[in-house]
Amino acid sequence: MPSSQAPPAGATALDPTAVRPDIADARIIRITPAEVRATLSGLRDDGFTMLLDVGGADYPGREPARFDVVYHLLRMPVKIATVAEVGAPERVRVLCGVPENDPVVPTVSDLWPSADWAEREIFDLFGVRFDGHPDMRRIQMPDDWEGYPLRKDYPLRGVARERTPRPSFALKSNVAAGTPASGKTAAALQKQIAQARGRDEFHGADDPAKTAQSGRHPGGASTAGTAAPEQLAQQPVHLKKDTPQ
Amino acid sequence: MTTATTPGIAPESGGYTVDVVERTDNRMVLSMGPQHPSTHGVLQVVTEIQGENITKASPEIGYLHTGIEKSAENLFWNQASTVIERMDYLSPLTNALCYYLAVEKLLGIEDQIPARANQVRVLFSELSRIASHCVWLGTGGIDIGALTPFFYCFDLRERILDLFEMAGGARMHPNYIRVGGLREDLPDGFLRKLDELIAMFAPRMRDLRGLLQKNPIFQDRTIDIGIISAEDAVAWSLTGPVLRASGIAYDVRKAFPYSGYGEYEFDVPVRTEGDAYARFLVRLDEMDEAMRIVRQVRKKLDEKGPFQIADTKFAPPPKETIALSMEALIHHFKLVSESFRVPPGDVYQAVEGPRGELGYYVVSNGDNRPWRVRTRPPSMYNLQVLKKLAIGELIADMVVMIGSLDPVFGEVDR
Repeated sequence: MPSSQAPPAGATALDPTAVRPDIADARIIRITPAEVRATLSGLRDDGFTMLLDVGGADYPGREPARFDVVYHLLRMPVKIATVAEVGAPERVRVLCGVPENDPVVPTVSDLWPSADWAEREIFDLFGVRFDGHPDMRRIQMPDDWEGYPLRKDYPLRGVARERTPRPSFALKSNVAAGTPASGKTAAALQKQIAQARGRDEFHGADDPAKTAQSGRHPGGASTAGTAAPEQLAQQPVHLKKDTPQ
Repeated sequence: MTTATTPGIAPESGGYTVDVVERTDNRMVLSMGPQHPSTHGVLQVVTEIQGENITKASPEIGYLHTGIEKSAENLFWNQASTVIERMDYLSPLTNALCYYLAVEKLLGIEDQIPARANQVRVLFSELSRIASHCVWLGTGGIDIGALTPFFYCFDLRERILDLFEMAGGARMHPNYIRVGGLREDLPDGFLRKLDELIAMFAPRMRDLRGLLQKNPIFQDRTIDIGIISAEDAVAWSLTGPVLRASGIAYDVRKAFPYSGYGEYEFDVPVRTEGDAYARFLVRLDEMDEAMRIVRQVRKKLDEKGPFQIADTKFAPPPKETIALSMEALIHHFKLVSESFRVPPGDVYQAVEGPRGELGYYVVSNGDNRPWRVRTRPPSMYNLQVLKKLAIGELIADMVVMIGSLDPVFGEVDR
């Protein structure tokens, strides 16, 4: 589907999951935390013996479930002793919505020991706890870390700061609300440009006379071509003087 | 037997907790790593030993956590592969391929990828597999005292990295795969170098097999060490050579073919012993099978053809058209300045990496950046089984077991 087409029906900025029937990558099951164990053990008995992955995703503002815990299960094409019946290879994706005020999901680490680290990682990076997990502590981040880095409201770098909306961030909603796409008003942008000019960051300054005097492009009598060799010639002397042996 | 498990922070343990702390019986706690040379990165294994036998092993990961998934969410769709390639740094192109296959599915253009692009993608996947197994074999040999194979392996790998450099400009992270195909066509002289590699591969493998496969010391160190049963392999979500050495013939290339893998003839090596030696043999056979695919791809590469899709909304227009066509210039400018937008949806795409099923769960909300990029790291799941694997083994065999699982910590910790 080319991107110029309208998004499929049912897709919202808040929940882009399970809206693409054209991608047949896996069967999709949507459940609540209370149904996790029954669903997953049922699937396991159904031949989906391998838990491929447990991942997390954050959709802030989505109600009633802000987080998704995403289970990928695999039915393998080959027979092993504990499974009586095997079919064609197939994947299933179980999306478990988790509410923000009570982010707890029952563990499946007793059904699949491999869920241990994956569930710890979701707890570490999203703050979703797994009830009944034998060792629920951080795995990637240090134990005394504050916050859950993969949440969308966690800053990308540095200390917590006010986020400037990215130009494209939730574009549709911004445009619908009448705000410019960049989140900045036109006046603020002009001010920023003016400040940049004041710092002489642009070659094309607004006063041509001043530009010519400073020997900068465009059109000045003394251009960079004549000024540069002098500077270059002085550079090594200057460096030599200041550089300790 | 007392196991002191302290939730939260235990100040006496230096800020982090391990679940074996103090012993009153004749067992002792031995911490291995994170700066241990045979852990192939930064892995700490806190082991509890009785005499020489391991009674408990607790791998601690996270020393190389760099937040790649978070970084990828904040880059444009076509920029994210620069960080994604750094996850499994021994087979970067496999990572990029898997990510871009997922993006192409979300865009709905996976059927429009030109044949030549698919052939080169398969070629580089298989060359990555050989290069990655070379590192595993070389360093795995060093772990148990076999120094010579290291030089043979790294020489072979270096020739493959030369090919990456020719095509993509960088040895380790070429960033050569793009949405809709490749960044550029294969350069002149590439196929000649590829032919040289193909010619030297078989004798080199014969040397390597001669050095290790029948070597009695090597066999003593690996046979019956770290046995994983088929049931355990499935329960612990093992994939790749580790799973296939336990008797289960699951290979993503066969089960869910991608990039035209269905066109090539190759076998999936399987062994049933499940020990470190079986994993060694499976990987060696995989290198031969990978070269078999490379030879088949090579025959198709003489025919030139388009290397990216024609739709210049996703793939940059050819350089010579930019100077002539206004539309091409606009598309180029839009791609560079704000990338493209991907229709909302979520998709799981997996490829058979050198370590197993490498999967990407990618979510788009219609923006020009991915909303969520979740990696299914095969190394992490494969490494986790060490908790079970190590029990009852000798402490001296720990390095063999870690080596036979072949973890890459850029991917385990991400």
